[in-house]
Amino acid sequence: MNRQFEKTAEMVLFLPALLSVILTLAIFVFMLVFGLPLMKGGRFFELITGSWSPGHGMYGIQPMIMGTMAIASLSVFFAFPLSMGCASLISVLAPRGFSTFLRHTVRLMTGVPTVIYGFVGIFLLVPIIRELFQNGSGFCILSASLMLALLISPTMILVFMESFDRVPKSYLDAADALGGTPVQKLVYVIIPQARQGIWMGVILSMGRSLGDTLIALMLAGNAIATPGSVLDSVRTLTAHIALVIASDYESLEFKSVFACGLILYGFNALIIVMLRYVESKGTQ
Amino acid sequence: MNRLWETLIKAFSWACGIILLGAISCIIGYLFMKGAGVIRLDLIFGDTPPLDAILLKRQVLDGLFPAMAGTFFLVCFSVFTALPLGLAAGIYMSEYAGGSIRRVFSFSFDILAGIPSIVIGLFGFSIAVFLHRHFSDRIFPCLLISGLSLAFLVLPYIIRTTQLSLETLPARTRLTALALGATRFQNIRYVLVPQSLSGILSGVVLAVGRCAEDTAVIMLTGAVAMAGVPQSLLSSYEALPFYIYYISSQYTNPHELATGYGASIILLGICTFLFLAAFMIQKGLARRALYYP
Amino acid sequence: MKKKFYWISVFFCMICLGASLANAGSADAFNDLKGTIKIAGGTAHIPVMKAAAKRIMTVNPDIRISIAGGGSGVGIKQVGEGLVDIGNSGRKPTDEEIGKYGLKLFKWAVDGVGVIVHTENMVKSLTKAQLKDIFSGKIANWKSLGGSDKHISVYTRDEASGTRAVFWKKALDKGDITAKANFVVSNGAMKSAIANDPNGIGYVSVGHMDKTVSPVTLDSISPSLENVKSGKYPVARGLYSNTKGDPRGLVKVFIDYLFSAEGRTIAEEKGFIPSK
Repeated sequence: MNRQFEKTAEMVLFLPALLSVILTLAIFVFMLVFGLPLMKGGRFFELITGSWSPGHGMYGIQPMIMGTMAIASLSVFFAFPLSMGCASLISVLAPRGFSTFLRHTVRLMTGVPTVIYGFVGIFLLVPIIRELFQNGSGFCILSASLMLALLISPTMILVFMESFDRVPKSYLDAADALGGTPVQKLVYVIIPQARQGIWMGVILSMGRSLGDTLIALMLAGNAIATPGSVLDSVRTLTAHIALVIASDYESLEFKSVFACGLILYGFNALIIVMLRYVESKGTQ
Repeated sequence: MNRLWETLIKAFSWACGIILLGAISCIIGYLFMKGAGVIRLDLIFGDTPPLDAILLKRQVLDGLFPAMAGTFFLVCFSVFTALPLGLAAGIYMSEYAGGSIRRVFSFSFDILAGIPSIVIGLFGFSIAVFLHRHFSDRIFPCLLISGLSLAFLVLPYIIRTTQLSLETLPARTRLTALALGATRFQNIRYVLVPQSLSGILSGVVLAVGRCAEDTAVIMLTGAVAMAGVPQSLLSSYEALPFYIYYISSQYTNPHELATGYGASIILLGICTFLFLAAFMIQKGLARRALYYP
Repeated sequence: MKKKFYWISVFFCMICLGASLANAGSADAFNDLKGTIKIAGGTAHIPVMKAAAKRIMTVNPDIRISIAGGGSGVGIKQVGEGLVDIGNSGRKPTDEEIGKYGLKLFKWAVDGVGVIVHTENMVKSLTKAQLKDIFSGKIANWKSLGGSDKHISVYTRDEASGTRAVFWKKALDKGDITAKANFVVSNGAMKSAIANDPNGIGYVSVGHMDKTVSPVTLDSISPSLENVKSGKYPVARGLYSNTKGDPRGLVKVFIDYLFSAEGRTIAEEKGFIPSK
């Protein structure tokens, strides 16, 4: 094989990589171009602060942004302690057999289809929430974020677990030598050492819950009001896309969907930048 | 730290473990309680003889067969589209890319991997509308568009697993062939890729699972309530996850709802199977590599 | 390619013509035909479309009929853009839409839009004024209407829905619908949502009402088929199937089928009033 061949091979491998990068950009450009008419002339601000009422010519998506934020942060709020507990259990506290079992279950849980969480949520969780609080329909922020918490926990647990396991063994031996109990080891050695991993787990799951469509669409009720309590029905940006997609391709309603896409894209980029930042801080 | 705190922390962790296990067993238990009764052959084939249905001699009108066939074609098409691209890009990233290209590329793959699937679906949908308007009026949201969008969705997974399993090869493996005079490409072709095959393969299997379960992309790009087994890449189709989503809100009688539970169990089964397969491939091959170094 | 297509369509038309003359009004009209029909839009139509499609495809396995929902707005837009062959709508397309896309309308059934609540709900009748107050959010508790002391959950449909358009115009007199209302995507989804929510109230196609939900009388007129038929119940509408230009080939046979004796029976079975 000659040098020419090597060059060609590199080129052949390079092109798909380039194509994938172009794809990433193309998605952004598509959202921008299609959504532009709504944002021209400084109307972007109006778009993200206004409310949604196509009947009155208002295409603001502020309620959806609030809804997305509410559901995502509440689900992380639920999932974080749960994941911390489970990860501690798996890495430190549980006996070996149970730890292995839990570890495999968590791994397997990452493979459960989202639509199944939504499906069971409608028939199992929503009626419970409705009966429990006696207020509203049960399709609300709380139902969606509880289910979402269950969806993102496995990812969070796995990231936590990996960072717990990465703590150098010598540190643990030192703690053992000082007569530390497992809990002391966890609280004073492992968790402080694994801070970076914990941050990454939280940010990563935040990204997942911001981008989830099905659970919010099926369980959050999709109302267009700005949420006032966790029992209010809300619509997320993702669910808004799914609901409005069907409109006229030339209407402003349809264009607003691309603004949602753009904002979700932006959220995602922000999450990646944050992850990178945390990662780089850790390696210094 | 006093004893009380210690006990509390322990209790809290155990409680978390039990809540997680309890929640997931509730979900799966509930699914099986409601759906186990309908898991029969006629759930899939209705009253059509199974052989006729599989050979496409007759259409299945009351079963899940069209949805399963739709999901099958969709997964095949998207994985076969994404695989060559992803493999090549992954190999390039691991073996050739350097400096600023590497930084920019890997940043953009991270972004691509994080884009919510509904945004990918929106992208696919707008491409379909764009093509319909400007190129051919035979193009509309269909199997082809969905398959491509799903391929975009799993592309970064395949790139990343390929890159990762190549990069984690030990230096010994990496350098031997080169020291013996192999070229860079020969080294990749005959040493590195075969050695990291298990990692790559399990990544691919996970990508298959991701394609099979995703609903947000296909609901925007061509999955419909009723279409029969797709006849071409340009036709609308049914798919399992979309069927479950559709039934969840639009069931008209208890029987249809029960079919929804049945479909959920089947989808859960498929995804679990793929997941275990990925796990076995990784583990099995790792063990073989250990025994025959 | 074009030419071939032309001849095939001519061929189809002749077969259709012959077939529809020979045995008009049954699925047999589809014998010897081949091809695909894509249907989208109005969700009230779906049960009838599905039943018709099933019968046709049982008789003739070479025909493919795909059915999607989305709402009336979607049906009109998609058929106008040429994305589907038949776009259903639960409201009459506006003159602007008809003119812009050159639509041909086929009104094959009459339907109403009625208010429904959960079967355990004690409130079974409302005045128009009360209804408006409920949907605008002014009345938020069932107690003031004679029900139990529970918060009212209002369910509504999205802007693309013809059911919403008709209900909003004829029952709410274009009054506001509260932003706190839950959104559902179809008539079927509305029915199942209300069937599961003891405090819910929503509106649905009369054809979709069944034992799982309770209809609510509006100004003491119940939303029944008879009242819709006689014109007593005011919130009535037609169910339309629209095509871009005159329907041809398979699509024409399908539309004819909807108006045939068998098609009318299906419409009747699914709770609608077939039109002549």
